[in-house]
Amino acid sequence: MPELPVHIPGLLRNCTDNHGTVTVSGGTLQGCIDDLLHRYPLLKVHLFTEQGAQREHVLFYYNGENTRWLDDLNIPVKQGDEITVLQAVSGG
Amino acid sequence: MAKTLLMIGTQKGVFFLHSDEKRESWSLEGPILKGWKIQDVQLDQRSKARMYAAVGHFVYGQTIQISDDLGKTWQQVERGPRYAEDAGSELKDVWCVVPGRASEPDTVYAGVAEAGLFVSHDRGLSWSEMTGVSQHLSREEWIGGLGGLCCHTIIPHPDNPQRLWVAISAVGVLRSDDGGETFHVKNDGLIKVIEGKTHKDIGSCVHRMVIDPQNPDRLFQQNHRGVYRSDDGGDSWQTIESGLPGTFGFPIVVNPQQPDTLFTIPQESDEFRMAKDGVLSVYRTTDGGASWSPSRKGLPDNCYVGVLRQAMTVDSYPDCGVYFGTSGGQIYYSRNNGESWETMPCNLPRISSLSVAIIE
Repeated sequence: MPELPVHIPGLLRNCTDNHGTVTVSGGTLQGCIDDLLHRYPLLKVHLFTEQGAQREHVLFYYNGENTRWLDDLNIPVKQGDEITVLQAVSGG
Repeated sequence: MAKTLLMIGTQKGVFFLHSDEKRESWSLEGPILKGWKIQDVQLDQRSKARMYAAVGHFVYGQTIQISDDLGKTWQQVERGPRYAEDAGSELKDVWCVVPGRASEPDTVYAGVAEAGLFVSHDRGLSWSEMTGVSQHLSREEWIGGLGGLCCHTIIPHPDNPQRLWVAISAVGVLRSDDGGETFHVKNDGLIKVIEGKTHKDIGSCVHRMVIDPQNPDRLFQQNHRGVYRSDDGGDSWQTIESGLPGTFGFPIVVNPQQPDTLFTIPQESDEFRMAKDGVLSVYRTTDGGASWSPSRKGLPDNCYVGVLRQAMTVDSYPDCGVYFGTSGGQIYYSRNNGESWETMPCNLPRISSLSVAIIE
């Protein structure tokens, strides 16, 4: 199963033992995100609401593409791909 | 010699000011939890000391962090306050963390927005909702104020484990007499800002409420529309505004050694929310609210700031220390029960909360 790096914003590194980049594994993009939350469960409250929705100003980028624009996260991933967690800040 | 620790919640993290029991000189520590909005910081010394911080962020949501080494290191709790998926409410802020009664040292309460009450029975590690607040019969008619629909004050009765008060902006005072299972509105005598369509008893905007530490039937509150006292546990409220320059303000605190002495900080109206004419003034009563007089020796002019509801506190030294922080990030304090004021040696981000502990 591919192993992908996930880049974590500074404010959330207390949830990842202060690591700025962590490794997850999964056959699909959704599987990798699930694995991220399994390995680092403290992240969940910061990335998703009580109803399970991705927080409005949280972004996941997959190989530079905003996952909000993907129709389905159950797409296969491969070694060499990467995920970045970002906060959506477009202005003051 | 005892140490004095002032815990400061700001828009950008926690700060500490350290001193001794003389409180003459202070040293600043922080920022801690840098970048997080800190709505409240409390040190619970009932058993083994544990510090709680209510943390939040515009992007990343809200939770509670705990520290067992006086704030040097912190750990996010794994099962913090969260509404059930079908609760119909959303967690928008953790407003306050309140240690429970002395008789139940593992119990801690949290008040949140959207308005609700959570409890932990394992010193903050896991939390569950006390649904008597968020599922109140009048809930659908609650409308939040400028600060949101927030449960900002929780007061456990010190001796009666069945009695508990909460206060919610633009809703009012709620009291439970069955250990938090059900709550009843206790707004009799309070002016409403916006009453409910069918629930005419709701709609009073309590900004902060405190209990007389020597008489738990006596409560005081700074309200959006006045300052009030209750002598019957909240069943009825009377106006106590003689000598005050206005009725609007946020914080109110009581001297724990002399509970007829209280402090509040009137502000210029709900439209402007700052010191009137830039004259920053504390008002003090020494007769349980029968009369108030200004106390501002040492406080600045040309100071157009506000003071938020949790940004004022008192210590328990015999010569009572009184502390308040402003929306401009300054902290002023008195070492003599409000006779005169001094300025802390720091300028911080907007101050949300102050609390003070004496560490022996």
